[in-house]
Amino acid sequence: MGVAITLRGLSHTYRTSEGPLTVLGGLDLDVADGGYAAITGPSGAGKTTLLSLLGGLEQPQSGRIEIGGHDLNGLSGDGLAAYRRATVGFVFQHFGLLETLTAAQNIELAGTLNGTSPAARRSRAIELLDAVGLAPRAGHRPSGLSGGERQRVAIARALVNRPRLLLADEPTGNLDDDAAAMVIDLLEKVRADHGCTLVMVTHNRELATRADQRIPLDRVLPVSTPA
Amino acid sequence: MAATSIRRRFGRSVLTVAAVALAATLLTALVTIAGTARTKVLSELSKGGPLSGITVAAAEADPSQVDTDDPRPGPPKDLDDAIRTRITALPDVRTVLPIVAAVVNVVVPEPPANADVLARLPPLPSTVAPTTSAPPEGAVPGAPRPTVPGLRTPDPFPETMVGIDLDRASLLPITILTGRLPVPRSLTEVAVTQGYLTRMGLTKKQAAAVVGTEVQLGAPRVFSDSGQPLRFRSRWLRATIVGVVAQETAPGQFLVSLEQTQVARAWTAGGSDGGGRLEIPTSPYSGLFVIASDLEKVNEVRRDITELGYSTSAPENLVASVQRYLRVVEIVLGAIGAIALVIASLGIANALLAAVRERRREIGVLKAIGARDRDVQRVFLLEAGVLGLVGGIIGTAGGFATALGVSAVVNQYLAAQGLVGVRLGLPVLVLISAVFGSTLLALVAGAIPARRASRMPAREAMEAA
Repeated sequence: MGVAITLRGLSHTYRTSEGPLTVLGGLDLDVADGGYAAITGPSGAGKTTLLSLLGGLEQPQSGRIEIGGHDLNGLSGDGLAAYRRATVGFVFQHFGLLETLTAAQNIELAGTLNGTSPAARRSRAIELLDAVGLAPRAGHRPSGLSGGERQRVAIARALVNRPRLLLADEPTGNLDDDAAAMVIDLLEKVRADHGCTLVMVTHNRELATRADQRIPLDRVLPVSTPA
Repeated sequence: MAATSIRRRFGRSVLTVAAVALAATLLTALVTIAGTARTKVLSELSKGGPLSGITVAAAEADPSQVDTDDPRPGPPKDLDDAIRTRITALPDVRTVLPIVAAVVNVVVPEPPANADVLARLPPLPSTVAPTTSAPPEGAVPGAPRPTVPGLRTPDPFPETMVGIDLDRASLLPITILTGRLPVPRSLTEVAVTQGYLTRMGLTKKQAAAVVGTEVQLGAPRVFSDSGQPLRFRSRWLRATIVGVVAQETAPGQFLVSLEQTQVARAWTAGGSDGGGRLEIPTSPYSGLFVIASDLEKVNEVRRDITELGYSTSAPENLVASVQRYLRVVEIVLGAIGAIALVIASLGIANALLAAVRERRREIGVLKAIGARDRDVQRVFLLEAGVLGLVGGIIGTAGGFATALGVSAVVNQYLAAQGLVGVRLGLPVLVLISAVFGSTLLALVAGAIPARRASRMPAREAMEAA
């Protein structure tokens, strides 16, 4: 089961040495529950900012964000942390795996923060590694895995708390074509199996076309409608 | 996570722990040595007895001298059980120990020291005259006398033996130099002082040579029949020397059980005073050793006893003065150790600040998967705590080992000087405080980096990824 996303008049301003820089420009956006959206656009258009706002990594400055009927504008601190823990799964371009932990431990970490018991965490980690085809690599550290394998571990970690919203920041950016295809197939399979909403930032136009909905940020979109 | 982080940056962690450990070593060693030195110095001042000890003489008090450590006693005044009970009942008096002294004639064995033991000890002083004494009473005329070259056997001489409650000897200003104290209530064992050794031409280093030898102690009694010259008879007993002590309980070269002096004193008191020509002691006790509940209360107790009319002495002013100086030394040494620990803590803070900078991505990931600010803070505080705890444990153990080494060297020196060595007890409180303090300081040092990490905006951390 996924979440519906509703953004109204969203914009975000950064303070830079050259003065304030406003991105998103009052973005309005709707993504259906269980939808698949691809955010595209040149560097500096606000793709990562949009993903951060959707993922509750920072508070919105202007505009309204509603995820699954919950208003993110009213959340801060522990509230946002709880939202990230319970609702969101992140997949980063640079995988974001902790080098000192094994693949299984990286996955368990998310469960640790959720207060899951050690046995349940371990079992869930093995289950997810099996789902991404990496059960035999459970004891390997990230440095012992290929790029594609690392990203599959990252996807497994993102799924540990059964998120309703999966956010992927250029998940194939550091992968070769074969590995990239495998990762995208996996993300789409996860979305299909779990019914979660998938929002992905990508520079790859071909990948973007696989999404149900494309959100180009290089121009103002008053209201985005499903493709 | 904290543990894996420490492992990942092992070299830096080792250096940080080493800094804390060295600081804790310094602190523990200095505080332990200062504490032991303090105990030793104060023990020397109190001659092995409690610091709050007060000696009450069987003499009248001079009220003007109550603030003097060692006042001149007035004319004799009997100390009996009634006054002992009254002193015991005074406020702030912990206990009262009786002292009974008796004059005896002493006959020293021939030779006065064990030749075999003496042969194993340092040589006799070259200034000591060779044995010249006359044969002892009862010796077979013409028989060879067992002599030890350089050792002096004196003629019979009068001396005082001091009787104490040997069950509570540890409360009195007595230090055992060698051997042991007589068994409580024994009438056949005696300990001697350094004065006895000197009389035999021995030094403190040769004290062990007199242990096991026997002396004859005779309590004198005067018989006076009208018109007849005074006659003296002694009640003799043979006693084995079981130890050599330094004692400040009362003047006298023989330390015995209370019962032994009471018997001797009763024998002497039962005789004549020779028409007033001899001084027969009338006081049941020749002194009392009073222990106040606290050093601070010594002056008050002395005043109370003075009001009862008895002269007292106590090293309260000297002890207070020395304590002040020792306190200053302790503060200075403790401060040096504490400064070292603070510097080590700054090292922890620096290492953790560097770790926060290096781990922006990791912190971001943690936050992205749902870590709260306090979860991130806890990771860094835990890391700081582990570094402080490990450093503290290693350093405290090292510090105590250092103190043990120093005390061994000091004891070697003291033994060479014929002095009692220092005994380094296990300063549990110091050790626990050092470990706890190191950990606490590390946590304080880690607070700022931990706070910085926890406050790191999740978005910035993600951008670093």
